[in-house]
Amino acid sequence: MSDKPRRITLEEWDLRYEQLQRAGICRPPAVAIGARPNYGGPLSRHVADGGQRLLKLRYDNSAAALRLWNFLLTEEDRLHDARAKGKKLVGTMKDLGTVPVMAYSFDNVVAFYPDGAWWIPCVMELSAGLLSIADSLGIDESFCPVRAMLGAFVTGAHFPVPDMLICSVGATCDDFSAIAQRLNNLGHPILWWEIPHRRKPDPNEAAVNLPGGFSAPKCQVEFVKSELERVKTALEETAGEQLDEDKLSAGIKEANQARRYLAELRHLAFTAEVCPLPALEMLIVEMLAIHFCSDRRETIEVLKELLGEVKARVQAGVGILDAGAAKIFWVNPVADLQVMNLLEDCGGRICGTEYLFTHALDAIPQDLPPLEALARMALADPMVGSSTDRAERICADIRRLGSEAVLISRIPGASHCALEGEVIGEIVREKFNIPVLEIEVPPVTDSMRPTVRTRLEALVETVKARRKR
Amino acid sequence: MKTIIYTCPYVPAEWIAAHGLQPSRVIPDAAEARGPLGRVEGLCPYVQGFINEAITNKQAGGVVITTVCDQMRRAFDILVRTCDVPAFLMNVPNTWQSLSVQKLYIDELKRLGRFLIGLGGKSPLDDTLTEIMLKYDTARKSILAAGGYLPAGKYAETIAAFGKDGPGEEFSNIKNRELRIKGVPLAIVGGPLMRRDFDIFDIAEQAGGRIVLNAAETGERGMCAPFDRRRLRDGPLMELANAYFGGIQDASRRPNSELYKWLKRKLIDREVRGIIFHRYVWCDMWHAELRRLKDWTDLPVLDIDTTGDNETRRHRTANQIRAFLEMLQ
Repeated sequence: MSDKPRRITLEEWDLRYEQLQRAGICRPPAVAIGARPNYGGPLSRHVADGGQRLLKLRYDNSAAALRLWNFLLTEEDRLHDARAKGKKLVGTMKDLGTVPVMAYSFDNVVAFYPDGAWWIPCVMELSAGLLSIADSLGIDESFCPVRAMLGAFVTGAHFPVPDMLICSVGATCDDFSAIAQRLNNLGHPILWWEIPHRRKPDPNEAAVNLPGGFSAPKCQVEFVKSELERVKTALEETAGEQLDEDKLSAGIKEANQARRYLAELRHLAFTAEVCPLPALEMLIVEMLAIHFCSDRRETIEVLKELLGEVKARVQAGVGILDAGAAKIFWVNPVADLQVMNLLEDCGGRICGTEYLFTHALDAIPQDLPPLEALARMALADPMVGSSTDRAERICADIRRLGSEAVLISRIPGASHCALEGEVIGEIVREKFNIPVLEIEVPPVTDSMRPTVRTRLEALVETVKARRKR
Repeated sequence: MKTIIYTCPYVPAEWIAAHGLQPSRVIPDAAEARGPLGRVEGLCPYVQGFINEAITNKQAGGVVITTVCDQMRRAFDILVRTCDVPAFLMNVPNTWQSLSVQKLYIDELKRLGRFLIGLGGKSPLDDTLTEIMLKYDTARKSILAAGGYLPAGKYAETIAAFGKDGPGEEFSNIKNRELRIKGVPLAIVGGPLMRRDFDIFDIAEQAGGRIVLNAAETGERGMCAPFDRRRLRDGPLMELANAYFGGIQDASRRPNSELYKWLKRKLIDREVRGIIFHRYVWCDMWHAELRRLKDWTDLPVLDIDTTGDNETRRHRTANQIRAFLEMLQ
């Protein structure tokens, strides 16, 4: 365990980095660790790339967290490096975790998630101009911040243009579907695959259990499997490599290794008496599960090291917050990372999350033919089903984790946010009678920070007042 | 006879009618914040209007919603929680090229059939379906033929009446009832129009224009392709699916290149000189097409975005259309 856990600034991290380096815990950049690449180095170097927001965040002070941040912030270099080594780059859009598992089963493919560009306006505090480019292409602020992806494709400055783009459509949000179509019109060919709305099986209809506890009609699983078969064939053509069942099964096994670490990490972070890891790092950690941040092996190593750190902290009964922090279940990811810090500044801690991709966290069945297992995973996507299903899963987690309030963070302009918050809020209140707060979080919240802070403080105070009853 | 309401053009009225139920395509009047749903930030006004309509419609014995757009898909969640009318959510794929999605659409029609039977409908015989399809097809052809003669507002009303009540005597030989009207030929392109927005047709005519192509979802773009009579007799359900799933072009399709092919043909045929692009705020699917349409066509494009709910909107729209036509005349 690294010293006393606490949240520190970027400036403090640089001092700490020097200490860790002297102690031999961190290596300088470009020094490989055995056969593995080393993404290490001081965090502040990423500010030179335009990451102004990094100056305002508070970070966990462990070496494991440093490794996590360095891994996250070096993805672009990694992608260029992969291309230079002759690997095929595949942009997997919207499915949030399914196709990457398949893509990483190839020897010669690196998958990444262009949708992740939605955090660039936050990290670069709007200085990259990506949203302005999206505006100029007719995708204005009435769309979800993921529109930044369009700008990233136009500038080519944040990730290399992939060799292949794959996008799921059907039961997805309209924003992304419309933006991807716009991207297609700009000359980027896209392989579209259909994910149908997950429905409940009819009486007497053959049903299949999905990871995460949902069920779906067998015919829907078969349909999705046929769509994934099509994706597989296209990937094989791009990679110039066949993907047989053994290779895909091996890929699923590796993905499950990451998911197992993540599941343990989430359980400890959400249930330990003293919160062992900040909300911000936990958010980043969960995002790794979607596409392994372009290096599956390193993802697993990062998760393993973080888990070790968290276990040590829990065992020692130490953490980054007071034991009395209000336990908040957070719904939807935030476009401004700083808001996760803000929750903790206001006396709250994360106790359960539903960041739109729980299907990327659940274990993929390994006792099934691999494509069927992936089809089941794809259908378990919370956004593919009804808001009621999503609320039920949130409720199951609240019951398990003992969350004391729910915060629904609206994504500006997102098609699903207009109606789902009401449904989720109603169901949670019906079942638990706990406070539910809905806030909207744009990519940079600076101008509305006092309002957001006041609302978060009110939620925390309400939770704490209810404890005294 | 129970009435089944819906608004999505991919729901085939013939299929509902063949089950012995009355299909009724609902076009909401307006997106009233005073309706049962109230004001919802970020919600497409058309979806809001439809939810309000479905909740308050006294005739509805069932409601069919589709997954064509995300907000409408989620409207189903609201309806099942707030209203007692049985509701059915039909999966309509966004992709369209593969046989498997075409099969999915047909399977969904069969599932819709089981829902309708559960509401008291009868399992349709092929002959019954064929007969109903022929009746609808004849009426549709008559309406489409009349499009060149009727004032645009009346044409839109006729299409709406056909959607609401199905084929009837009033749709026979309507093409001779009115004379051709002069004016700058315009197209209206976009998603569905609410009733209150039908005044656009009159506004355009009063300003010296004439909408010769109603490519709104509630206009002729939302009407299925004509049935192939031979294929119809061989397999009516398959032909129904071909005409609806394969025949209606929409912005939501992935890719939606066929929409532009359809538009290109129609714009040339009708000698259109300007396009009114109508969209509701928060409708991402159509909003995203605006810039592309402008890049794609040489014709001038007027963007009208509305919340579909007030008089101020009407004045603003009228002024925009007048200015647009002044430029074109």
